[in-house]
Amino acid sequence: MERRIRVVMAKLGLDIHWRGVLLVSQFLKDAGMEVIYIGNKFPEQIVEAAIEEDADVVGVSTLSGNHLTLGPKVVELLKAQGMETVKVFMGGVIPPNHIPILKGKGIHEVFGPDTPMQTIIDGIKTAILGTDPPTG
Amino acid sequence: MKKTDRLIEAALAGDKLSIARMISLVERGDDQAGRILEKIYPQSGGAYYIGITGPPGAGKSTIVDRLIHLFCVNGYSVGVIAIDPSSPFTGGSLLGDRIRINRDAFKEDVFFRSMSAGRVMGGLSRTAKDASRILDACGKEIVIMETVGVGQSELDIAQATDTIMVVVVPESGDNIQTLKAGLMEIGDIFAVNKSDRAGAEDMASSIKAMLDLAPLKMDWHPSVFLTAATLNQGVDELYEGLWNHYRHLRKEDRLKLRRKNQLRSELVRKVDEIVFESLRDRMNRDENLDLLLEDIWSKKTDIYTAARNIADQWKAGASGKHGHTDEMS
Amino acid sequence: MPGKTDKEACLFSEANVRKIETDYEDWHKNRLREEDRQLDGKYFTPSGIPVKLIYSPADIKDIRYSEDVGFSGQPPFVRGVYPNMYRGRLFTVRQLAGLGAPEDCNQRVKYLLKHGATGINILFDLPTIRGYDSDDPEAEGNVGYCGAAVDSIDDMDTFFADIDLGSISTSIVTHLPSTSLVIPGMYFGVAEKRGTPLQKLAGTCQNDFIMETCVGSAPEILPPPVSFKMQCDVIEWIVKHAPRWNPVSYNGYNLREAGTDAVTEVGVAIANAIATAEELINRGLKIDDFAPRMSFFWDLHNDFFEEIAKCRASRKVWYKLMTERFGARNENSMRMRFHVQTAGVTLTATEPLNNIVRSGIQGLAAVLGGCQSLHIDSYDEAYSAPTEEAALVSIRTQQIIQQETGVVNTVDPLAGSYYVESLTEEMTHRIFQFIQKIEDMGGLVTAVENGWLHREISKYNHTHQKQIETGERKVVGVNYMKAESEAACPIEVFEYPETYSRQKARLEKLRKTRNKEKVKSCLEELRAKCHSGDNLFPYCLEAVKNHATLGEIEEAFREEFGLWSFPLMG
Repeated sequence: MERRIRVVMAKLGLDIHWRGVLLVSQFLKDAGMEVIYIGNKFPEQIVEAAIEEDADVVGVSTLSGNHLTLGPKVVELLKAQGMETVKVFMGGVIPPNHIPILKGKGIHEVFGPDTPMQTIIDGIKTAILGTDPPTG
Repeated sequence: MKKTDRLIEAALAGDKLSIARMISLVERGDDQAGRILEKIYPQSGGAYYIGITGPPGAGKSTIVDRLIHLFCVNGYSVGVIAIDPSSPFTGGSLLGDRIRINRDAFKEDVFFRSMSAGRVMGGLSRTAKDASRILDACGKEIVIMETVGVGQSELDIAQATDTIMVVVVPESGDNIQTLKAGLMEIGDIFAVNKSDRAGAEDMASSIKAMLDLAPLKMDWHPSVFLTAATLNQGVDELYEGLWNHYRHLRKEDRLKLRRKNQLRSELVRKVDEIVFESLRDRMNRDENLDLLLEDIWSKKTDIYTAARNIADQWKAGASGKHGHTDEMS
Repeated sequence: MPGKTDKEACLFSEANVRKIETDYEDWHKNRLREEDRQLDGKYFTPSGIPVKLIYSPADIKDIRYSEDVGFSGQPPFVRGVYPNMYRGRLFTVRQLAGLGAPEDCNQRVKYLLKHGATGINILFDLPTIRGYDSDDPEAEGNVGYCGAAVDSIDDMDTFFADIDLGSISTSIVTHLPSTSLVIPGMYFGVAEKRGTPLQKLAGTCQNDFIMETCVGSAPEILPPPVSFKMQCDVIEWIVKHAPRWNPVSYNGYNLREAGTDAVTEVGVAIANAIATAEELINRGLKIDDFAPRMSFFWDLHNDFFEEIAKCRASRKVWYKLMTERFGARNENSMRMRFHVQTAGVTLTATEPLNNIVRSGIQGLAAVLGGCQSLHIDSYDEAYSAPTEEAALVSIRTQQIIQQETGVVNTVDPLAGSYYVESLTEEMTHRIFQFIQKIEDMGGLVTAVENGWLHREISKYNHTHQKQIETGERKVVGVNYMKAESEAACPIEVFEYPETYSRQKARLEKLRKTRNKEKVKSCLEELRAKCHSGDNLFPYCLEAVKNHATLGEIEEAFREEFGLWSFPLMG
């Protein structure tokens, strides 16, 4: 059986924009992944879910400006729990100049607005399965 | 093997990450799954297994959330397997049962796992049962299995739990007739949720009336509760109701009887699976199969005789090997 | 429209229409090439209305001018709600203010007023929007971002320091009914303290339960029936006490942004207004007591003509509902007034300067559609609430439309366009159909409670995104004509990092200095009233005047009413 990627998807903190995160979740599902959407959660709860669900990937969405304060916290807490292999992706409204900061703090990749879904899917597959996605 | 044993050891000691990984391995039908399940079986059996089911949108997750809270407040540790039966066998799944779960105060005592039926090797009942057995063996005193009652999955969890709670909701214009008959039959406890809505009490009394007509299972009169889980109303009573049923089962060896019956069918199913898998495997590798198909096609033989011959050959080969079927092929 | 018999009243004589139809057939057959004809039936508006290659009088042959179109300021108000429209009063240039702490906002408001804004939109940060105090653990990471932090009546006082509340029009963007019970009360309380009578206050609060339950659904929301009841409480109290205030702005905008088409946007907003009207009538009010103060909020999207037709059609639907269904007598009840914001969801993060053009065109459509006030999105809004420079470009865009284009000099200049009139008729028809569908489902509150609307949004987005992924739908600079190198203009993000500490200190001080006993008794009374069915507004007002905080009041609601999660996943 093909290895299925397990993804925990969360909205960060109070953020109310559920549209994007659900949309990405649906596309990841369509791409064959097992997506566990956990709704609005804070970093501690996100990491808790990642552990129990044995996630390969944590996807965190935020459009409300809390990405710098809360985003890297997810990475730190995962590390503290011995889950450094879990890749954390962020998406939403994140200014370009904040992306290097987030990556510097261990966020694997940041997807801004207008990112094609295929880019997100390929990004996750490459990170987890270690293979280059098929072209085209 | 050493790696697997270390994993099992850590899980049995309560390490969440190891428990989570074991469930994944079992779910995926990994080579290590057999060893894991064999090792944890002796440690299991101590937990109280509760199944929660009902139609979509009845508020099951919210009830689960409230019950988790009550169990924890009373000092119990809780494992939950939330099963989504709707996902297809191939392709991905989108599981949303965690959304409603808030248990910050007791996070150490709770283990919550989402499971998609589509993913499951060998049927939902097996994997859900295996996963809950893992939670049980790893120290969870209460194991809850939650699923939507829309087909097979609620019957599966009925085969894997001590108490079945059916959650229903009064819908305007609807009545008890719309409830699936299957749900009525399996329920030990009924929660008419969203009881702040019109029609809740009517619904509760018609459920009671219907239950009065049904034969008793293990001398138990199923109980019916009114709840409004979002408002935290009626949940304490529901919680007590669960324990009442549990105490009833503990009397006169009823629990033992129920579980043994379940074990019997589980055993039959497992043997079924093993036999089926090995037989199919053997057939798929049989070079003569194409020739046989040609014979069936050209009517040299018929498909019924051919099938019986294959089964007979297999039976002859299998005799004397006492179930070590994986060596057989 | 079929079934109309009054041919005399139609725009064109039957004989003329017949000639035009024959000419069209001839043109279609002989002038068009086969490959042109192949494209018949292949074009649609985003709402799914078929678009023909060309329109003629034959497409609007059933329209009776006086009954179906008429003049501005008279039934059916298709052409505009006031006779003189923009000659009488230009649309209000309403831009956002609200970032950081109240004192920052105060500076921003003064800046906007000085540069010609005539109305202020106060946008709040997420904790405020969702009813949490700045020092609540839930607010972590969000204080002062994307909007203002307002925790108490004292913050409101600071926000509007040195500004005469009687001379401005303020839109308080409290999306949720639960916060609309509280934050406008802070504004009213400040006015009262300064001696400005409530009768003089002009403004709007949004107060839309669809926002609470469908659009901005966070982990913790009040159940739809509760939120709807609160929405009605706010309207009932305000129409009685602050007659110039619009107590509700049915927010089609955010629903559209969340992911729906134009028909659903208008249909849901009007279905909500219908439900409200029925509730308020049940409470003993008359339609003309409150309908004149109901306002709407539309999202002007990319499809230029459909959006204009939407504005015109929505006025007609409203007029018909008010007169035929509710028996309104006051013409003000029949006038649908709406605020417009250009579609934030169409803004792209890549090549952000393109957004100036998008928003400009959408703004033009809003004016051609006869809006009462307009917010033009700033080009950087795909990233943040706007910077000062970007906000100024938006104001300038509005001023260019007002002063340079000449479109405001005559009323509804697209009336009589065969295409626009035909589209207006079709939109009207579809909006009515949509409203009927909601009512058949058991009403809007039910459609929300059972997750229908959420699923519609979800489906729409899935389809829409697929179209972008496949290139079927083109977004310039994103999946069409993408620049090779992304030499995007750097966008500066507005930040007030110290807001959190300032608000925290302020709350600490407030909690020490206020009359604790009084606060406690106000909150206890409010809790008791939660289950009485009484209007909650006066109890909230009393609490805020006694310096109860937003978070304290909302916490009372959350505890008394319980929390609800939308049934998105069944």
